[in-house]
Amino acid sequence: MSRFNLAVRLLWRDSRSGELTILILALIIAVTSSTAIALFSDRLQRTMTNQAAEFLAADLVIAAPTPIPVEWLAKAMQLNLAQARTVEFASVLVEHDELLLAGIKAVSAAYPLRGFLKTTTDDYSTETIMHNGPEQGAAWLEKRILSALKLKLGDTVTVGEKPLTITKIITYEPDKKGDFYSFSPRVMINEADLPATGIVQPGSQVRYFFQFSGDAKVLAEFKQWLKPQLNPSQRLMDVHEDRPELGSALNRAERYLGLSSILVILIAGVAIAMATRRYTERHFNAAALLRCLGLKQQEILLLYGSQFLILGLAASAVGCLLGWFAQVGLFHLLQGLLPQHVADPGLLTVFFGFIIGMTVLSGFALPPLLRLKQVSPLRVLRRELAPLPASAWLVYGCSTGIIGLLIWTYTHDIEMTATLLGGGLITLLMLGLSAHGLLWIIHRTLPAMSLTWRFGLQGLLRNSRASVSQILAFSITLVAMVLSFTVRTDLINDWQAQLPDNAPNHFALNIFPGQRADFQQELQRQQISGSQFYPVVKGRLVEINHTPVQKRVSKDTQGDNATHRELSLTWTQELPDDNKLVAGNWWSEPQPGLVSVEQKLADSLAIKLGDYLTFTVGSQQINATVSSIRALRWDTMKPNFYMVFSPGTLDAYPCTFITSFYLPKLQKNVLNALVKKYPGTTILEVDLILQQFKTLLTQLTQTINYLLYFALMAGFTVLFAAVYATLDSRIYEGALMRTLGANRSLLRTVQFIEFGALGVISGLLAVVISEAVIFVLYTQVMHIVYRPSLYLWAVVPCAGGLFVGIAGCWGVRQVLNKSPLRVLREL
Amino acid sequence: MQTQVNQVSNDIIVTEGLGKSVLTSEGNLHILSSIDLIIKSGESIAIVGESGSGKSTLIGLLAGLDTPSCGAIRLNGKLITAMNEDGRAALRNELIGFVFQSFQLLPGFTALENVMLPLELIGDKHAKAAATALLHRVGLSHRLSHTPKQLSGGEQQRVALARAFVTKPAILFADEPTGNLDSKTGATIVDLLFELNLENLTTLILVTHDHALAARCQRTIQLDAGFMV
Repeated sequence: MSRFNLAVRLLWRDSRSGELTILILALIIAVTSSTAIALFSDRLQRTMTNQAAEFLAADLVIAAPTPIPVEWLAKAMQLNLAQARTVEFASVLVEHDELLLAGIKAVSAAYPLRGFLKTTTDDYSTETIMHNGPEQGAAWLEKRILSALKLKLGDTVTVGEKPLTITKIITYEPDKKGDFYSFSPRVMINEADLPATGIVQPGSQVRYFFQFSGDAKVLAEFKQWLKPQLNPSQRLMDVHEDRPELGSALNRAERYLGLSSILVILIAGVAIAMATRRYTERHFNAAALLRCLGLKQQEILLLYGSQFLILGLAASAVGCLLGWFAQVGLFHLLQGLLPQHVADPGLLTVFFGFIIGMTVLSGFALPPLLRLKQVSPLRVLRRELAPLPASAWLVYGCSTGIIGLLIWTYTHDIEMTATLLGGGLITLLMLGLSAHGLLWIIHRTLPAMSLTWRFGLQGLLRNSRASVSQILAFSITLVAMVLSFTVRTDLINDWQAQLPDNAPNHFALNIFPGQRADFQQELQRQQISGSQFYPVVKGRLVEINHTPVQKRVSKDTQGDNATHRELSLTWTQELPDDNKLVAGNWWSEPQPGLVSVEQKLADSLAIKLGDYLTFTVGSQQINATVSSIRALRWDTMKPNFYMVFSPGTLDAYPCTFITSFYLPKLQKNVLNALVKKYPGTTILEVDLILQQFKTLLTQLTQTINYLLYFALMAGFTVLFAAVYATLDSRIYEGALMRTLGANRSLLRTVQFIEFGALGVISGLLAVVISEAVIFVLYTQVMHIVYRPSLYLWAVVPCAGGLFVGIAGCWGVRQVLNKSPLRVLREL
Repeated sequence: MQTQVNQVSNDIIVTEGLGKSVLTSEGNLHILSSIDLIIKSGESIAIVGESGSGKSTLIGLLAGLDTPSCGAIRLNGKLITAMNEDGRAALRNELIGFVFQSFQLLPGFTALENVMLPLELIGDKHAKAAATALLHRVGLSHRLSHTPKQLSGGEQQRVALARAFVTKPAILFADEPTGNLDSKTGATIVDLLFELNLENLTTLILVTHDHALAARCQRTIQLDAGFMV
C-alpha cells in the first residue's frame, strides 16, 4: 500500500473521530468567506465598473474638439470593439418668441454602448428604458424646454436649420457630464440629422465623444496603442480617469472590500493555526510510533502534509461551493438595492478562492504541523518528551508572508500593504507584551483573591504562554471585527457627510458683477440656501519658475488635465469652507501677488511654496508666488478652485461670479424664472448626478454591512478553536478537581472567570490596538477624520468577556459532564 | 571491538563504553555509564533495576531511539552511533520490533490495520494476509475490525505483540510489557511473547521490574544508578 493510501486512511479515521472537525470547519469558513467575498467583490466591482461605465455610456471614450483620425476607428474595428459617437454643442432654440440656450447632443445609432436612456411621453408618470437614441427626424427634449418654449409632444422644434418632431421627453441619459453643454437643458437628436442643422461648421465650438466598449484586455491594448498618438486637445476617458469623484468612491470601495476579505482570512487563519496546533499535539504519540516503526522525518512530514493537502483540497472545494451559494444569497438579499443587471460570477474567481484556501492552510497550518517531524521516537518510552515548539520566526514569518501577499493581491497597493503589515506586526508585538504585563499584574494580585477567583485566574497563569497565544488570537479577532465595524461606520458617515441631503445640487455660472447682489436676493426671496459667491477669471497656467508648464507634467495626470484648459481663477480674503491648509500660511491682510494651490495639482506639477507661477488671462500675463497649498474635497458640490489668489491680484480683470445652491425637486420651476430673469447666467443642474452617486454609495454601504457577518463567523471559529486547543488538559484537570471534591457549580464559576477574564483582557487590548490602527488608517490612508470612541472602550471588553466566557464554558462543558473515572482512564 | 564483531558474526548487539548524561541546572547528570554489552542473536535478555536506574534509557539507546553521550552501539554489525536519525529509522524498520507498556496502538485504526501498518510502511503487498494470520495466532481472529477502545488491555497488548512480530524482526524490545495488565493477563501475554520469540528466533530484550519474568530470560542485566552490576 502506498503512503498516500495510509495518509487517506489516517485522515478518514481522524475526521470520523472528530479530531479534525474544528480544523475542517475553520478551513471551510475561511474558504467560504474568502470565496464568497472574492466572488461578491468581483461581481460587485464589475457591476459597479459597468455601472460606472454607464456614466460614460461606454468603457472608453475619446473626447476631442474635432473628429479623430479614421485609422483609430479602423483599429477599434480591427480589435472588434463596439463603437458609438456623440457630438455635443450649445445652441439657442427659439420657439413661440421664447429663447433658450440648449445643450444639443447628436447620437449615433449604437449609442449608448453602456447603460440606457430613459424617456417618458406623458409627463414623468411612466418612464421607458431605451437602448438607442431618437430616430432620424425626431428630437427628445428635457421637460423644462417644453415649458420654457411652450412646446408639447408632437410639436416641431428647430435645431439650427433643421425642424425635428418632438417624440419623447428625455428624463435620463447615462453620460451627462458636468460641463456647459450638458447642464444646459438637453435636446437629443440623431446624428444623421446633424448636417442638416447647419450648426457644425469649421471652427464651431463642438465636442466629439468617440465611445468604445468590449473586452477589458482588448480595451487596455487599444488604450495603450492610442495614448502616444493623442494630441493635447484630445482626451482619453475611462471609469478611473474620468469623473474623479466616482473613481475615488470606487477605489475606496475596492480597498474596503479587499480589507474586509483579508480580515476574515486573517481571523480564519488564526483559527486554522490553533486547530492545527491541537491536531499536532494530539498526534505526537502516533508520530513517535511511526518513527519507531521506521518512518524517516521527511516521511512523517510527507504523511501528515499529504493529509493536510487532501484536507485542504476537500475543504476548499466545499468552501468554494458554499462560498458560491453564499454570494448568490447575498446578491439575492441585496437585489432590491443592486442594479437590475448584476455581472455574472466569474469561475476564475472561484479558483482564486480555492488558491486562497490552500495558501491560507499552508501559511497557517504548516508551521505547527512541522513539529510532528521533530517528534522523538523516544516518546514511545517517555510520553513527556514533546518536540520543541515551532520556531516563532517560522510561524509568524509564514503567516505574515501569506497575509502580506493577500493584502497585495487584493489591493495592488504597496503603501497600504506596508501600512497594514507594519501595523499588524507592531500590533502583535504590543499585544504580546501587554498581555504578559496584564497576566503579571493578575499574578501579583492573586493572593488577595477568593478561592474561586484564584482558581479561575490561575487557569490563565498556569500556562501563561498558551494564555498569551489565546489573548493574541481573540484580540486579533476583536481588532478585526472592531476595525471592520468602525471603519465601515465611519466610511458611511464620511460619505454621508460629504453628501448631506441638502448638498448643493445646482450651480449658477456667469453671474455678472452688476447682477450678483440681485441674484443673491432672488435666492433668499425663494428661500433657497446657497454657498458663497466667488469671482471667476478664466486663465491658463503657463509657467512655473519661468519653465513652461508642459515640461513639468506627464500625460494623463491631473496636472496634464489642468494645464490643457483654462482654469477658473478666483480670489478671496478668507480661506474657503471645506479647504484646509496643508502648507504655508493664508494671507491675513490684502497682499497682492500671492496664490494658494490645490494640493493634488501642486503634487502633480511639483509646485512648492515660494514657486513663481505665470498665468495668461486673455492676452495678458500675471504672476504670483505660491504662499500656501490647500487640501479640498471636490465632491462637496460647492465651488472649488485649483488656484485661489490673494485679493488685489486679479481685481483688475473682468470677472463673473459662481455659486451653488440647493433646490428641492418641488421648486424646480424656479429655474425657469431664474433663467428668464438672468439670461446671461448659466444654471447647471447636478441633482441627477448626485442622485446617481448617492444610489451607488447606498448600495456599497449595504454590501459592506453584510461583509461584517463573515468576520463574525470567522471570529467564532477562532473562539472554539482556542477552547478546543486546551480542551484535553481542561477535561483532565476538571476530572482531577472533581475527584478531589470540587462540585460542578465551583468548576462552572471557575471556568467562567477564566474565559471571561480572557475575553475582557482581549477586549481591552483590542480596543487599544484598534484605536491606534484606526488613527493611522484614517489619517494616513483613507484621509477620514479620526475621533476616539468611548463606546468601544465600554462595549468591547464587556462583550469580549461575556461572549468568550459563555462560549468557553459551552466548549468545555464536557469537563462538567464527563465521568471523572472515564476521563482519567481515557487520558 | 570492530575485529571482535566481525569475528563473531553471531553478536547482534554490541555496545562499548556506552554512556548517557544530560545537562541539568545542577550540572551533568549521568543516567548511564560504561555499559559494555554483547548480546547474541536469538538470546533473551532481561534488563532489571529500580526506577531511575536507566533501564528505559538503555533500551532507547539500543533501539536507536536516542543517541548516547559517549560510546558505541552496533546492531547486526552496523555502527548506529555513526548514523543519522533517518539511517537509524531505516534500521529500525529492517531489524527491530517493539512492545510497549502502554501498547501504543493507533486509536483510529482497527486491530488488523494496526498490525498491517509496519508491513504497509515497507510496501508489503501481503500485509493483510500476514497480519490476519498473526492476529489469528495471538487469538484475536474475532477482533480484527475492533478499534483499541473496543479491546481490553490484554487484547490490546496481543495486538501490539502481533504488530511487533509481523515484520519478523531480528530484535524485539519489550518495555514492561505486562506493566499495565493484571497478573493473570500479564502471564498469558508473557507466555505468548516467549512462544512467538521462539517461533521467530528473535533476540528479545526485555525491560521489567518483575523478577519472575526476568527469570524466564536466558540472561539478566542488572542496572543500578546507571551502571551494570
